[in-house]
Amino acid sequence: MNAAWTVFVKELVDALRDRRTLAVVLLSSVAMGPLVLALLSGLVASLEASAERRVVVAVGLEAAPTLRNYLERQGLRAEAAPPEHEARLREGQLGDAVLVVEPDFEARLARGEAPVLRIVSDSSNRRAEAGAGRLARLIDGFDRERALLTLALRGVPSEALRSVDVQATDLASPRGRAAPFTAMLPFFVIMAVLYGALNAALDTTAGERERGSLEPLLTNPAAPWALALGKWAAVAAVAMLIALLGVASLLPARWLIRSETLRALFVFGPAEAAAFLALLLPLASSLSALMMALAIRARTVKEAQASSALLILAVSLAPLVAIVDPAGDRPWYPWVPALAQHALMNRVLRGEPLGAADVAVPLLVGALLTLLCLADLARRLRGAGRG
Amino acid sequence: MIEAEALHKRYAARAPRRFARARGEVVAVESVGFAAADGAITGLLGPNGAGKTTTLRMVAGLVAPDAGSVRVDGLDPAREPQAARRRLGVLGDARGLYPRLSARENIVYYAALQGLSREAAHARAEALAEALDFRALLERRTEGFSQGERLKTALARALVHDPANLLLDEPTNGLDVLATRALRETLRHLASPAGGAKCIVLSSHVMQEVERLCDRVVLVARGRTVADGTVAGLCARTGEADFEAAFVRLAFETASA
Repeated sequence: MNAAWTVFVKELVDALRDRRTLAVVLLSSVAMGPLVLALLSGLVASLEASAERRVVVAVGLEAAPTLRNYLERQGLRAEAAPPEHEARLREGQLGDAVLVVEPDFEARLARGEAPVLRIVSDSSNRRAEAGAGRLARLIDGFDRERALLTLALRGVPSEALRSVDVQATDLASPRGRAAPFTAMLPFFVIMAVLYGALNAALDTTAGERERGSLEPLLTNPAAPWALALGKWAAVAAVAMLIALLGVASLLPARWLIRSETLRALFVFGPAEAAAFLALLLPLASSLSALMMALAIRARTVKEAQASSALLILAVSLAPLVAIVDPAGDRPWYPWVPALAQHALMNRVLRGEPLGAADVAVPLLVGALLTLLCLADLARRLRGAGRG
Repeated sequence: MIEAEALHKRYAARAPRRFARARGEVVAVESVGFAAADGAITGLLGPNGAGKTTTLRMVAGLVAPDAGSVRVDGLDPAREPQAARRRLGVLGDARGLYPRLSARENIVYYAALQGLSREAAHARAEALAEALDFRALLERRTEGFSQGERLKTALARALVHDPANLLLDEPTNGLDVLATRALRETLRHLASPAGGAKCIVLSSHVMQEVERLCDRVVLVARGRTVADGTVAGLCARTGEADFEAAFVRLAFETASA
């Protein structure tokens, strides 16, 4: 045990001395969450701003006094579209969908010939798309009003036009509504932990072999399991430190959020932070062990990087399973590392309570994976000189 | 006291292509045996690829021999690795220092792994730095060390638990004349009764080195022990006045004969 402690202290000091790497990792892990949140909130804020902007951008509206009258009664102001609006929409410079009115709109409307109103937007332009929906609803309202008027003139009651009464009920909790914007946070926290542990994991295993310091180390009387345990503990400590900092950085992130509504919806207090850590710490431990078990098989750090790239890919693809799968959380999710943490952290963000079983299964999986990888690492270290 | 008897080691040959099956085996050590006494410097002398490094690795317990046996003060490193390693100081062909740690930290780390207390480890590091004349380097990170400075640090690390037996693989590799001289002095001192009468085994392909330093020479060629004795004895046996000529005759002519 003394030997394991000695190795742990040495490896930790060694990892913390690697200032440059550490600084980059710390900066990215601590800054990433708040940064993403701030960017997303900027997007939400601009969406909200265009929703609140009571303006309709149109071409040829002067030829349609009836429509203009309707828009003004809705409290909207008409604005002429800028020249070359199509190109500007495509390039994302224009953030409003454009309403294009035919020159003979008024005359055809009077004759009942259903004149054409075109809503020009670009589905890759998110701001314009949000406006396009609003514009369509607006024109729908105009259409309905015209129809009602026509029918009323002929003595038909307006109920004849409405055979059903549609009522929408939104079941999402207030925090659930923010979920589309915060769903990426768990992914970034998991990746920060992974990248944080990566350097230390490679340096203590493949790096040791590459430097030629593994063989001298093995001439010491310390048992291989003690070496493995000490090395893993140091790497896991670094990974956990990153997890801690990453989660802590989300606590003040609320103040970076520019959108009022999103700020009200994004609740991340000590309870949420504690739940995140309960999920992340076992993950940090098992990922560290897994990376080390992979890296000890490599002769050089470069070789080890190639194998850990696969692991990183797998971990970053895991959350995609949950996103692509339309059926929602499946019962086997908690058994898959990374995927489990991703799904559960998102539940925390949605404000759903986590049960003991929810935390216990990933914890168990993490502990098992750690033990397996450590046993493998120790076995590899024992045989390292015999390669 | 180190005894090696009929050590044999072969490796599977590296496959020529990635997924091809390994073809055959490469014999690294055919049959090497020697006995190194306490208070003496024994040299394993042989051309490149003779099997010196593999032999030393087997003695150090890093590689398990396929046949033959090793005894370090009567202990078998394969069976009692912990006990044998406490009695053994090893300086491998790779010096393998930690670049982000200072020389002192490198040495103290190994001392702690050998079970020394903190105080004892630091005292030992200072004493060794004094003896090996690198006191000024002790607090510097080993990152920018020269070959000689690296060697001194690694040697201090190997000596930190005051082992009765010392294994050195090509210790003078990459050293200049002064550093080589200093190392020679140090090793002579360690083998003398004043230095603890240690059993020192070193490998080298430089015969002048072995001639000047070693009390006994074990000639290794093509994985076999071909001769064993003092420098004067080997010269007398071949009837050559010059050790180099004796070496060439013993290493190449006997082996091919």
